[in-house]
Amino acid sequence: MATEPVTDYALEGPAAFELEAEREHVAGLGPSRLALRRLRRNKVALAFGALFLVIVAMCVLAPVWANRVAHTGPNENHLTDKVTVGGETKDVVSPDGVPIGPTWHGRYFLGADENGRDIAVRLLYGGRTSLQIGVAAALITAFLSIIVGLLAGYFRGFTDTVVSRSLDVIWAYPVILLGIALGTALSLGGLHIGPISVGSDSKLIPIIIIGFVYVPYMARPLRGQVLGLREKEFVESARAQGAGSLRIMFTEVLPNLSSTIIVFLPLMIANAILLEAALSFLGAGVQPPTSSWGTLISDGVEKIITGPHLTIAPGVMLVLAVLGLNVFGDGVRDALDPRAKIRLEH
Amino acid sequence: MGKLGRRAAALLVAAFAVTGIAACGGGDDNEGGGGGGGGKSGGSIRIGTVGPDSYDPVLMQTVQAFQPLKTAYTGLLAYKDETGKAGNELIPGVAEKLPDVSSDGKTYTFQVRKGLKYSDGTPVKASDFEVGIKRLLKLSGPYSSFLTTIDGATEFQEKGDPEKDIPGIKPDNKTGKIVVNLTVPDSKFQYAVAEPYAAPVPESKIKYSSMTNDPPPGVGPYKIDVVDPSREFVLTRNKYFNIPGIAKGNLDKITGEVSTNVTKMTQDVINGQLDFMTEDPTGDQLPEVKSKYSDRFSLNPYPPNTYYFSLNSSIPPFNNEKAREAVAYAVDSTALQRIFSGRLKPTCSFIPPGTIGYTDDSNKNCPYGDPNGPGQIDKAKQLVKESGTAGQDVTMWTNSKDPRPAIGEYMRDTLNQIGYKAKTKVLNQQVYFDAIGTKSRKAQIHFNDWFMDFPDPSDLFQPLVTGEALTSTPTFNVGFINDKHVNDEVATLSEERDPADKASDWTELDKYLTGPGKAYVVPYGSELTSTFMSERMDYANCNGIHQVFKNDWTLFCLK
Repeated sequence: MATEPVTDYALEGPAAFELEAEREHVAGLGPSRLALRRLRRNKVALAFGALFLVIVAMCVLAPVWANRVAHTGPNENHLTDKVTVGGETKDVVSPDGVPIGPTWHGRYFLGADENGRDIAVRLLYGGRTSLQIGVAAALITAFLSIIVGLLAGYFRGFTDTVVSRSLDVIWAYPVILLGIALGTALSLGGLHIGPISVGSDSKLIPIIIIGFVYVPYMARPLRGQVLGLREKEFVESARAQGAGSLRIMFTEVLPNLSSTIIVFLPLMIANAILLEAALSFLGAGVQPPTSSWGTLISDGVEKIITGPHLTIAPGVMLVLAVLGLNVFGDGVRDALDPRAKIRLEH
Repeated sequence: MGKLGRRAAALLVAAFAVTGIAACGGGDDNEGGGGGGGGKSGGSIRIGTVGPDSYDPVLMQTVQAFQPLKTAYTGLLAYKDETGKAGNELIPGVAEKLPDVSSDGKTYTFQVRKGLKYSDGTPVKASDFEVGIKRLLKLSGPYSSFLTTIDGATEFQEKGDPEKDIPGIKPDNKTGKIVVNLTVPDSKFQYAVAEPYAAPVPESKIKYSSMTNDPPPGVGPYKIDVVDPSREFVLTRNKYFNIPGIAKGNLDKITGEVSTNVTKMTQDVINGQLDFMTEDPTGDQLPEVKSKYSDRFSLNPYPPNTYYFSLNSSIPPFNNEKAREAVAYAVDSTALQRIFSGRLKPTCSFIPPGTIGYTDDSNKNCPYGDPNGPGQIDKAKQLVKESGTAGQDVTMWTNSKDPRPAIGEYMRDTLNQIGYKAKTKVLNQQVYFDAIGTKSRKAQIHFNDWFMDFPDPSDLFQPLVTGEALTSTPTFNVGFINDKHVNDEVATLSEERDPADKASDWTELDKYLTGPGKAYVVPYGSELTSTFMSERMDYANCNGIHQVFKNDWTLFCLK
C-alpha cells in the first residue's frame, strides 16, 4: 500500500515531505506522529477537546448522579412529593402547579419541571441521548459517504452521474427542512422497510435521518479526492498487477482518505448534535418521555419567563459541546495539514 | 359539546336548565357576571387561540371551533346571548319561533323566517336545513350521531348519496315550513338544531367534502374568512344579519391568531397585543395573572365539563376489565390537580357538576377511593397482575396543548408504576381527536375531555360511550365501547322530554359505566375555565361568560 499526502496541493512526493519534516525539526517522524505533535502544540484545541470530554464524562455518569445524588430517574414523576432543602420541607410541585426552583443541592439541583421530574438528571440523560445520536449519525454519514464517494470517484461515468445527481437532490433541500419532513413522517408511523421495522419512538429514527441528510456534505469532498487518487501511479501499479476495482478502492485509495475522514468526523458529530437538537425542539426528533437537549430546550421555552434556567441550562450544554467539538476539529485539521482547505460547506 | 370547548349549547327549557344547573352548584372562584354586553359598539380585537380543529361547521369538535363558528352559523334555534343561567335558554334562530312538537314527541314543525340571507347575500330557503344535515351525515361529522334519530338519517348516512333526500325532513320552500320526523322521541334534538353543525347552508355554495379552507356562507352576526387555517382567521360583520333576539355583536372585526404557544399568548394579553385568549394561562403564569390582573380575569365552571382517561376496550390490554379497573385505582386526582395549576376539581363521576344526574353525593363512596386522596398503586399493581396483562406495551396518547402533554406524561409514569411498559404519543391538538377516534390507529389509552353542550346527560353518553356513536368515523367513542346495557339505557333515557325526571337513572348509569367490572372510562375531575382579557376590553360589562359557549364573542366590547 502506497501512502499519499493528505491533500493534492500540499506535499508532493517524499522530497517535499522531507522538506516539511526538516522545517519542523523532526526529521524521521512519520505523518501521524507529526500530526500529533502539531496537535499537542495547539493548546486551544486541546482545551476545547478536553471540555467536550468532560461533558461526555458527565453524561456518561448520569446514572451515578441519578442514583447516588438525586435519587430519581429522568422520567419519574414526583407531583405530590415533598423535598427537604436547608431544613425546610417544600412541595416538589405546589398545589398551584408551581415546580420547585433550583435547590443547588443533590436533589433537584436545577429544580423540577411541571411533572416533578429532576431537571439536572434529565439534563445529563438528555446529553447522553444527544451525544449518542450525534456520534451514531456521524458514523452513519461517514460510512455512507465513504461508500458513495469511492464508487462515484473511482468508477466515474454513469455511476458518478447517478450518485452525484442524487447527492445534488439531497443537497438542494435545506438540512433542517429535510430533517423535519422526514422526522415528522417517521415519528408517526415508524420506519418499515421489508423485514426491518423501527418504532416511531426509537432513537434510530433521528439517527438514520441525520446520518442520511449529511451524506452529501461529506461524500462530495471525498469523491473529489478519489477522482484525483485514482490517477496516481500506485493505483496504476496495482491495476497492472491484476488487482480488481474493489480491492484497489479499499486497499489503495481508502487509506489515503483517512486523514480527510478523521478531520470530518468531529465536525460531523457537532453538526449532527445540533441538528438533533433542532429536530427534537420542533418535535420531529426524539419523542417523549426520552429527553435530549433539544426537547429540554423546547419544554423550557414555554416557561422562559418564569423559569429561564429550564431553557438556558440545556442550551449552554449544547453550545459548549458543539463548540468543543468544532474547535477541536479545527485543531485536528490544522494538525493533519496546516495548509489544508477541507471545510464543511453549508 | 364536545371536547375541550364544545360550545355548550344552551339549555333549552328553563325547567331543565334551572333544575339541572342550579342543583349542581357553580364554581367557587370569581364567577364572572354582568358581562352581558350593552357596551361600546365598534372596534376590532385580536384573539389568541390554538385554533379550530376545523372551520367547516359540520366537521368541528373543539371549543376553539365552536366559539368563532357559533357567530357565523345560526341554526333553526339558538341560545340566548346572555351571561348567567339565561344563556342556557333556547330561543328562535333561523326559525321564527320555537317548534311545535307533536304529543308523541316525534314530529317537530319549524317555520323559517322570511327575508333571511346568508353572509354572501344568498336568500335562505327551508330546504337549506336539509342540505346542512345531509352534509353532516355524508361527511360523518363528529356530531352526526346527534341527528340520527331523524327518520331516514341513518340510511342516508350509510348510502351517502347527496342527490337523495332524507325522508324525515320535509321542507317547503314556498311556505318556509320544515317538518322533521324522528324515529323516536329525542330530548337532545332541539339542542342539536341550535348548533352550528346543524345550521342551514346554501345548496349552491357547498360541496360534500371538507370546506375547512373556505367555509360555506352562514346566517350569523359575523362571517368567517380563513386567511390561513393554521395561522389566522377573521370574523367581520355580516351586513345581511338581522334576527331579533340574537346579538349582532358589538365589534366590527375579530381576528383569531392561531398559535400553540400559550405562554406567549398569555403574555400578549397582559401586554395588550392580544385582547382575549380562548386558552387558559399556563401553570406558571396563572398565579401572576390571578393576583395582578384580577380585574380582567376570572375562573368559572362553564361550560360543565369532565376530564377523563378513555380506555380502548376493543384491544389489549384494556379489553380486560381488571386492567381498566387498575387504571381507575391508580389515578391520583390530587397530582393531576397540580398539573392543572389548581384549576381541577377532583371527581369520580363521569357526569360533570352542573349537569342533570350529578348530585352532591356523586363524589362520596367512589368505588376506587377518595378522589381527593392519593392513587392506590399497590391495588392497581395487583389487578394488573391478576389480569395477566403485566409487562405489556402501552401507549398513552395525548395532544400538544398545554397541559395535556404533562397529563400524558403523568399517566405514562403511572402505567409504568403499575406494571406496564408505557410510552407517550403526543399529537397536535388539531388532529388528535380524529386520530384517537379512528379504530385503525389502535390507540390504547388517551387523554380526553368533554364540555357539555347542554346539561342533558345524553349529550355526554350518546356520543362518547354508545355503540351508535361508532357509526361515525372518526368517532367520539374512542373507547370503542359497545355495551348493550349502556346502549339500551341511553336510548331509553334519551327519549324523555324532560331529562330531569330521570336524573337518578342517569346517576345509576354513570356508576355502571365507571364502576367495578366495567370502568370503561376513568374520570378524574372537572376544570375551572378562565376568562382573561386585555386592558382595553370592557371586562366588567362585556366579558361574555356564557354557560354554553364559555365565552360568547358577540357580547365582547371595548371600553
